Amino acid sequence: MTYEPIWGTIIAWYLFLAGLGGGAFVTAVFIRFKHPGCTRLMRIGRIIAPAVVVIGLCLLMFDAAAGFAHPLRFALLLTNFGSVMTWGVVFLAVFVVVALIVLVLDLLKKAVPEWLDIVGMVMGLCVAVYTGCLLGVCQGFPLWNTALLPILFLVSAVSTGMAAVLLAGVFAAPAEFNEVVVLKKFHFWLPVVELVLVAALLFVTSANPSPAGWESVAALLMGNWAVCFWLLFVVMGLVLPTVLECWMLWIASHELETSRTGQMVSALSDAGVLIGGFVLRLMIVSAALPITIVQPWML
Amino acid sequence: MTRYGMLIDTTKCVGCYACRTACQRQNNLEPDEDFIRYERAETGTFPKVAVETVPMQCMHCDDAPCASVCPTGAAHVGAGGIVAVDQGRCIGCLYCMSACPYQVRVRNAKTGAVDKCRFCVVHTEKGGASCTCVDACPTHARIFGDLDNPDSEVSRAIVEKHAKPIAGDLTRAKVYYVR
Repeated sequence: MTYEPIWGTIIAWYLFLAGLGGGAFVTAVFIRFKHPGCTRLMRIGRIIAPAVVVIGLCLLMFDAAAGFAHPLRFALLLTNFGSVMTWGVVFLAVFVVVALIVLVLDLLKKAVPEWLDIVGMVMGLCVAVYTGCLLGVCQGFPLWNTALLPILFLVSAVSTGMAAVLLAGVFAAPAEFNEVVVLKKFHFWLPVVELVLVAALLFVTSANPSPAGWESVAALLMGNWAVCFWLLFVVMGLVLPTVLECWMLWIASHELETSRTGQMVSALSDAGVLIGGFVLRLMIVSAALPITIVQPWML
Repeated sequence: MTRYGMLIDTTKCVGCYACRTACQRQNNLEPDEDFIRYERAETGTFPKVAVETVPMQCMHCDDAPCASVCPTGAAHVGAGGIVAVDQGRCIGCLYCMSACPYQVRVRNAKTGAVDKCRFCVVHTEKGGASCTCVDACPTHARIFGDLDNPDSEVSRAIVEKHAKPIAGDLTRAKVYYVR
């Protein structure tokens, strides 16, 4: 029998947006402590964070068809604290509330308490990790059932969050974009770490006792997902940003780095990170094969 | 304690799908909603080969992964160890479908809620321990009964035929297979 993935593109979008939102909030807090003068960039992060998570949650509710038809059932989401999804609901709820309060305070030009920013950052990180744990506890899928996945999603979430803030910053706050050097240098390392984590995930998965592990990896590397994996994820999402940012941060002259051309090169690299981040979620959700249905990757 | 379980003898199964049809009628399922799916496996080496049909359905695991991940408590292990889905609590997030290692849960296209083999609770609750698929099987490949009663037909058959769960100790399944 052929296997149809249980979760589809909508869930991939949700996982991407939830991670991106958490990462964007982390970025705003990072800017607060490392580049306190860059208030416009900080505000961009504070706007993106709740906005994309709320969009993601709307997608999620729409996808849960039985709950969408009977919205009161969503209240039952807090009944089983043995479920990762229940914990996700708690993290998401606290995160969205904190992120919205921070945004309102910022827009009203009132001081955002330091502790509130830190609570939001911790919740943002929890949201990013939970998206990995959500899939990680499903023991029927070797590609998911590894402790590497939450770490990979965490790194990708912070990376996409920072890329989104920087990309918006190129157009909305170009002067501040040139100032956040520490943020850019931190962000540079994330795709590098991600590359190592993905390689580790694929090695570990392919060695799973069930053939489903190797079949999933083969589907990514040389099956239906090969173009997506190599071109969109590895080249556009990881290698291109690493090369371009390496050039901008360490090789190019200060004049080129801060010129409009240099900013556009960075924008291209950040767009690549965002594409790679989404494609990663889509592939992880779609290419995972279960251990009890035998389906060769060639079919 | 009563722990309902089943034995499926694939050496008797002729692959007629009568169990699935009977199940769909009994449970009033949508035309594309199946509680039983069939895996086919080739056995033996040439020239002595055979095709084995393995009907797969909810294994009613004592340690049901679907129940542990269900965020609303809709999926639960109920009376008699029967794993059930409270249709009024299910939001259709499909987390249980991802967590089930046997891939035997289906979404009802009309309601959006998830459902699966109910071990025919309509029969068991009345005291008559049987399942529609068991009654429908023309080759008596299926036996249903109480696993905690060592003298029940199913318990004795499991011992006699050395029946085992389909995937070893992946979960504590209550459906046993003769292969």
